Amino acid sequence: MSTDLPQAPPSAAVTAITDPHPVPAGNPTGDDAQTLSEQSVLGRHASRVQRVGASLPFDDPRHLQAHHWLVDEAWLLDAQAYEDWLELITEDVHYLMPVRVTTALGAGYDTARGMAHFDEDKYSLSRRVARFLTEHAWTEDPPSRLRHHLSNVRTFATDDADHLVVESATLLFRNRGDVREGSFISAGREDLLRLVDGHWKLARRVILVDDSVMRMQNLAIFL
Amino acid sequence: MADQTTVLADVRRGMIPAHVYNDREIFELEKERVFSRAWVFVGHESEIAQPGDYVVRRVLEDSFILTRDEQGEVRAHFNMCLHRGMQVCRAEVGNASHFRCPYHGWSYRNDGRIVGLPFHKDAYGGEAGFQRKGQRLLPAPSLATYNGMIFLSMDPDAPPLEEFLGDFRFYLDYYTKQSASGIELRGPQRWRVKANWKIGAENFAGDMYHTPQTHTSVVEIGLFREPKAEKRKDGATYWAGAGGGTTYKLPDGDLDERLRYVGYPQEMVDRMKEQFTDDQLKVIGDDGFMISAASIYPNLSFVHNWPRVGESDDVLPFISIRQWQPISEDETEVLSWFAVDAEAPEEFKALSYKAYLMCFGSTGMFEQDDVENWVSLTNTAAGSMARRLLLNSRMGILEDDEPVVPPLGPDAFHGPGEARTGYSEHNQRALLNRWADDLEKPPVQAATLTVGGPGAGAQDAAGRTSPSANDAELPGGAVAQA
Repeated sequence: MSTDLPQAPPSAAVTAITDPHPVPAGNPTGDDAQTLSEQSVLGRHASRVQRVGASLPFDDPRHLQAHHWLVDEAWLLDAQAYEDWLELITEDVHYLMPVRVTTALGAGYDTARGMAHFDEDKYSLSRRVARFLTEHAWTEDPPSRLRHHLSNVRTFATDDADHLVVESATLLFRNRGDVREGSFISAGREDLLRLVDGHWKLARRVILVDDSVMRMQNLAIFL
Repeated sequence: MADQTTVLADVRRGMIPAHVYNDREIFELEKERVFSRAWVFVGHESEIAQPGDYVVRRVLEDSFILTRDEQGEVRAHFNMCLHRGMQVCRAEVGNASHFRCPYHGWSYRNDGRIVGLPFHKDAYGGEAGFQRKGQRLLPAPSLATYNGMIFLSMDPDAPPLEEFLGDFRFYLDYYTKQSASGIELRGPQRWRVKANWKIGAENFAGDMYHTPQTHTSVVEIGLFREPKAEKRKDGATYWAGAGGGTTYKLPDGDLDERLRYVGYPQEMVDRMKEQFTDDQLKVIGDDGFMISAASIYPNLSFVHNWPRVGESDDVLPFISIRQWQPISEDETEVLSWFAVDAEAPEEFKALSYKAYLMCFGSTGMFEQDDVENWVSLTNTAAGSMARRLLLNSRMGILEDDEPVVPPLGPDAFHGPGEARTGYSEHNQRALLNRWADDLEKPPVQAATLTVGGPGAGAQDAAGRTSPSANDAELPGGAVAQA
């Protein structure tokens, strides 16, 4: 039944992640850059596979697999099972969380030039995970209580059957100690999933956080 | 307001009443007496490189539009419409030739002059009722630059920036003038932490003692090879003028070898040799010290470290400039920028940025653990027990105030100010002594300004910080090139 439903056009906020994006002056990666991953300082190695067409029906097996993958991942991140999480990530991953800035409506960009919160490859992600596994990562000892609330999942095909683009919204609640107030991060994500040896793995993630000024003491978390 | 004489006397002898890290009355005094007169960093010229480029920055609650006008002049306008006080610019970054208030449509050129006043004749009777000519957004009381770094003071009679910075300029050059082109500043990442602003400033000024403990994890994962306990105490701390900082002791070698040891490619080394003074080069080449963290009073800090950024053993240096912007007695907004020499090779810039992201900033693996400590400290300082506890900040001096380690002589340390090796809290005391000096001084008396008042236009009695359009009558209107 769902295949007959009209497809909503992608909203401006969502297309901003992948669709051609005005390149701000001073962008260090050059004039050809279109997507945020391409515009980032450290994304040159990243896969450039993009979505094709409208979002897949919710009963499409590809959507079900992608959604399943995201839910499993959310539980791993809540549990801080970061070694297992790294297993879900390809060797050429680009994990990007730009710094959002408030700009005038017509400015054509809303992320900082040449600066991100995360602009990571597999090596830097693995160092972050390795640090949490030491006994001296004080910011997570005692550990935070984390909950990644996942919603608004939609999946897109690509030109390559082994790749899917998946969008989702995530709301992370993080609480530390007993009486300290918890803090939230709300973000939209666009992921590129790749089928590797029969398993979906994360090959690219762009996190569009909804805060300009983060209200969390640090980002000793993953989104 | 309570008498703080005892608090300041305790601070001066190196005994810190713990509540100063979370005390509303102290914070009100800081607003009135520290941030009303000090030179406060607001941005770098590279952030507003082209005419019309602007960023909006704050000093406490006061919002300023930092912009480069069509003549290329750097300006800081108080971000409030002269009519009803609406915030004129509500974006944080952009490029604009004019700013138009969304409330009633008054508009201003990017040099601050008013150009548009809707229904001027109908509403005000034209120039006879309201002199549009000569009106402009209020300029920052004082504005000046050093190495492209833009500072603002709320005191129209602030001493010149160079005088305020004093001999710290010698060290500031290491971070901001590695070549004739100076730095590019990127960012900032901004985030709020429930910690008092002084803690970060003190930590970066001189706390070598925390490195082996707080940052154990980053050594364990192979990110940073330096901060082993025995290494850190071989470094020198120095205090000069408005600031002080820490250094690492480098292995034996000549100047070039030592700069390459921390990861600078030879072409950058060559430019530093052209740019730095003999004494600046001797601190590295002869004395063997490499700058690391530092703070300028009151709330600006720097860090220069050289982590591994990939599987190889090579290290890459990075520089971060950060501001501890006070929000309240228990909350600080951190603004953390990445800085890199403008003439550095592009590959170096990219890897240096990677080094920065891994170590400092909102996601940095050093910074994560620092902030955890500072939040806890601030939280614990709120209660009544903290009012009974004087924290011992006398590391490095004996009971009779004689130093544990004598200062380094001029042959062992070629920089200005006083430097010594070993763990100590000399710099934290120097920072808090300046703070105590400011808290003791009566507040700056600011003149009030009248917009379009009968007769005078917008002039105060002394003619200072006037929103007149004529630059010649505008002390602080255009940037004084320090």
